[in-house]
Amino acid sequence: MKRSNLLLAVIITLLWTSVVPARNVDLSTVPPRNTVQLTIYNSEDLTLVRETRVVTFKQGANPLQFSWANTLIDPTSVELSFLTQPDKLDVLDTTFPHDKPHMLYWNVQSELDGEATIQITYFTSGITWSADYLCVADREETEMDLEGFVRVYNNSGEEYEDAQVRLVVGSINLVEKIAQLAQIPLKEVGNLQKKARKRLKLHAARRAMDRSEADSKAPAESAPKQIIKEGLSEYFIYTIEGTESISNGWSKRIRSFEGQAVPFQIEYRYRPQEYGDQLVRMYLLKNDVESKLGTTPLPDGVVKVFRDNGRDGLSYLTQQKIKYVPIGDKIELNLGVDPEVIFELIKRRAFRDNIWMRIGGTNKYQKVGDPRIVVEQKSEVAGWDDHSVYIQRIRNYSAKPIQVQVRRHYRGHVLFRSELNPKLHDYQTVEFQTPVPSGERTDLLFEIVVHQGYNAKQNNVTLENAELAP
Amino acid sequence: MRTVALPRPIVLFTSCFAFALPFLVFQDTASARVKLITLPVRERVEIQLDNPHATLVEEERIVPLVKGENQVDFSWANTQIDPSTIVFRVISPLGDQQLDVKVLSVSYPPGEAALIWSVGASSSGSARVRISYLLGNLSKAFNYRAIAANDERTLVLSQYMRLQNLANEEFGSTGLWAGFGPRFLKPIGLNETKEMLMEKFRQVPISKTYTCNPQEYDYLDRAQNKLRVPMHYVLKNSKANNLGVAALPFGKVRIFIEGSGPQAGASTAFLGEDWGQFTPIDDEMKLFLGVAQDIVVKRTIDKNQTKRIGGNLYNHEIVLKYEIENFKDQPVTLDVVENIRHIRNEIRGDSGRDVQWELGRETTFPGGSDKEKTTFERAVFHAPLPARDENGNAKKVVHRLHLTLKNEW
Repeated sequence: MKRSNLLLAVIITLLWTSVVPARNVDLSTVPPRNTVQLTIYNSEDLTLVRETRVVTFKQGANPLQFSWANTLIDPTSVELSFLTQPDKLDVLDTTFPHDKPHMLYWNVQSELDGEATIQITYFTSGITWSADYLCVADREETEMDLEGFVRVYNNSGEEYEDAQVRLVVGSINLVEKIAQLAQIPLKEVGNLQKKARKRLKLHAARRAMDRSEADSKAPAESAPKQIIKEGLSEYFIYTIEGTESISNGWSKRIRSFEGQAVPFQIEYRYRPQEYGDQLVRMYLLKNDVESKLGTTPLPDGVVKVFRDNGRDGLSYLTQQKIKYVPIGDKIELNLGVDPEVIFELIKRRAFRDNIWMRIGGTNKYQKVGDPRIVVEQKSEVAGWDDHSVYIQRIRNYSAKPIQVQVRRHYRGHVLFRSELNPKLHDYQTVEFQTPVPSGERTDLLFEIVVHQGYNAKQNNVTLENAELAP
Repeated sequence: MRTVALPRPIVLFTSCFAFALPFLVFQDTASARVKLITLPVRERVEIQLDNPHATLVEEERIVPLVKGENQVDFSWANTQIDPSTIVFRVISPLGDQQLDVKVLSVSYPPGEAALIWSVGASSSGSARVRISYLLGNLSKAFNYRAIAANDERTLVLSQYMRLQNLANEEFGSTGLWAGFGPRFLKPIGLNETKEMLMEKFRQVPISKTYTCNPQEYDYLDRAQNKLRVPMHYVLKNSKANNLGVAALPFGKVRIFIEGSGPQAGASTAFLGEDWGQFTPIDDEMKLFLGVAQDIVVKRTIDKNQTKRIGGNLYNHEIVLKYEIENFKDQPVTLDVVENIRHIRNEIRGDSGRDVQWELGRETTFPGGSDKEKTTFERAVFHAPLPARDENGNAKKVVHRLHLTLKNEW
């Protein structure tokens, strides 16, 4: 066993009082850890450690010393309980010596002369985990192999050998639990004092963990470990099969799931608010059983995307962060600009009409161009319509036909004229789609009419089907 | 290949990348002091340069494995491997072996550019594995060499890929691919720069253009209203023009011209260089060669008449006059480009609104505006110019551009 910074010592002494003895000569035994379990809340830099040890008690008072120098353990979270003989063992008191900040003494009263299994639980920080994903698309770009991984980092200052590791997926739930425990509305959680918030957070985490015990069986020596996934309330818990030893400062990455021949679609999207002012190529897939996935939600993580380049090698396409993907939800991977697809917006014409003049010093308006009316000299332009005629040109030099979706956002009182069969994504955003065959060019013609000044009566986009001249 | 164990620092002397396979399985790698290690060499290396922002290295090694769990160490001191991109894939067992190999886990030691794969094997044997990773400081760039024929009607365009290896690692015979063009098999030494001919395009037609555009190229002599007239070679990246295989990536273009006579190749002269912009198929690459001093264009605003529609709403009648002289021995065509918004701003200031305009009847350019190149605020005209006469005198050609700017306030 490696040197551990955590030490449980049974102090053997003739005279024990409830006060920590001030003596310089002690005799102690050090019961080793039997089991240790780590439950890692990534979003909170919080890990619940649950360890068991077998201790021999004598009848009467039994002093136990627990110390944790050079670790990141929260001293207020350390708790002792008795897994065997609980009716014959009691913690009479706990003492934190003023001169030893990383140490405590439990005074255990025993009616027993013999062994008992004790459990020590505490919270530590410095143990974190992250998820990442590897996609390798086939040459035809119709299916991909998608692997998920979890990587556990131990910077806690303590060596945890042969630990059962459980990873908690989900972040908001602790806050909800805090609200429940504090019996306050969720929105008021942020107003809690830091100390109270932390206390409730620890309490919430401990309660959640008490409800789940996962299997722990030894893996076959040449088979990858399975990661058992189970839903628990609003959490999802990954339990790594068997046990793991992760030395301090080290990290370890294990595959959490694998989907082979996962079907996906390719779509080209122009959505400047999401992807910037460029047409991007997307891989679209779903985290569901039909897509050979759907066994687990996908925690936040980085996805690396490769493609079989058809020459016995890979092409690197992109890497991007994805947010938590629930079971059944879609996964959208942005591969960036495709140099084989050229996307241009050409403004062909601009003109103004429907010009209204406001007669000076009055609230009267005259329309310009009405032959029956002479425009007052003392007047100024108060309202008009700006017309702009555009060609959205898409050239596809790739070897496959493509599907392109365009979303354009307009502010103000806008009329969108075209024969593109568009729809409104929202009140200010027009969406239209078109296929572009391989090796061909598609010109999409549309006109934007912006009602300005006095003419602006709304703040939305209206669609109008109309034939336009380029 | 099996060797006696070498501690990691000694391995690093042989290569910045070390790939090692301990024979004994240690529970605790950090505390192991005595190891027997095999050092599987690279069997094949491929460098994929098809991503514009990243270089992917793929290397294959044959790894001997024992039944059960094996440790495979990989370290990359002093190089810029992105560890999050390292992918370990088992391609196949060697020969007829029935060997099932799986990666069990990956461990990352603290403070080291290294990782340790824990690999499970169903039986003892060797497996071909491929390790892929993104490597920094191994970059590519493109450049071009164009040799124009003496009559400047065609040129030969050679496209080169320049690979610069500052990755602190050398590679033996390595497959290289840029995403288009040929695949190369070359050794790449430490700190080496290697330039490779990608394509040689012959008989590429040159469109030699002379353009005046006060908004983009300004005046040569403002006091005399003389416009700057740059000369360009324009190459269309299309199959019809003996190009059009793929988009032409950004890169410097050095342009030469052959001499005349039977020794044309031997008297090639350097014409100049320009940055060739990324040019998709069917687009034009425009290469600036210099200002044409032999074509003189005087631009004046001949007429600026304001017509009040009512209140503060006006139309403007504008006539621009171009007096053009070609002092060259050959006839040329001058492209006259005007940004109408720029003209509007010149005569009445910028209102921030799009300019609404119509061509007037006094416009004299033959054929009117170029419909393909003219947009909502940019008008393009072509003016053929005769060569100077036998006495060296240039004919002054006068053209007018008549514009009506509408609904301005």
